[in-house]
Amino acid sequence: MSNVKDLLGLELEPYSMAVEKGKIKELAIAIGDDNPIYYSLEAAKEAGYDGIPVPLTFLQVIEYHGGYGFQEKMEVLKLNPVKILHGEQEYEYLGDIYAGDELHVTSKIIRADTKIGSSGGMDIVTEETRFTNQKGELVAIAKITIIHRH
Amino acid sequence: MYFEDLQVGDSFPVLKKDPITRVQLVRFAGATGDFNPLHTVEEVGEQAGTGIIAHGMLIMGMLSQGVTSWISRKNIKRIQVRFSKMTYPGESIEIIGRVIEKKADNLVVSELLAKNCEGDVKVSGIFEVKLQSRI
Repeated sequence: MSNVKDLLGLELEPYSMAVEKGKIKELAIAIGDDNPIYYSLEAAKEAGYDGIPVPLTFLQVIEYHGGYGFQEKMEVLKLNPVKILHGEQEYEYLGDIYAGDELHVTSKIIRADTKIGSSGGMDIVTEETRFTNQKGELVAIAKITIIHRH
Repeated sequence: MYFEDLQVGDSFPVLKKDPITRVQLVRFAGATGDFNPLHTVEEVGEQAGTGIIAHGMLIMGMLSQGVTSWISRKNIKRIQVRFSKMTYPGESIEIIGRVIEKKADNLVVSELLAKNCEGDVKVSGIFEVKLQSRI
């Protein structure tokens, strides 16, 4: 593998993806989250929302379905898929996201370094993804940290 | 819920999830688009030396369910987690939360844990909420 440090600053191909209510419901069912705000517009409105809101981890649906799939992402980052672990994940919410919104997504690698520990070496790669809605408002920032064991 | 309703040290009600099933992992893969075969294909799990493991993001989804069952979704500003142990089909996860800090601008920070029945911490982290003040 080439030097992981070369990934620092790499910008991935931007894309856009609609927030679909069917995908919100599908994710909530998969998690087993029965909060009615994710299933019904009436329930969401009753709870004070302008539309059906997204579960806190929904943006991963936008990322995998709208952007690179798992295997493709690993190829772009030149990481061996069987040697990677999901180390950390963060979502910061700056605005509301509802079913029907269109999100524009940009992302880049903000950390790429190697650590040598007692169990051998590992690369640590952090990707920051920014989500902007159809009104041009930055509504969320996601950070994923991947551990790649040597 | 108001800013004044939460105090440092307050615990949220524990959310007990049903055991994770293989079908749930397939469903989760389809819902999210995360088709890392380690979560669905027996041979890949054997090759990796772990067997089939649950998506870390499924556990984070359960943590998120806990958070939004305690505090309204619209008040959540940040959730940040670290994946520390693998979770296997058949395990039952409990979601635990406790207030650790009250900050300026009506922000409240709480710690967050996902444990199995034996008390092994699978995922840990924090979440931050912005609440209205009564004052």
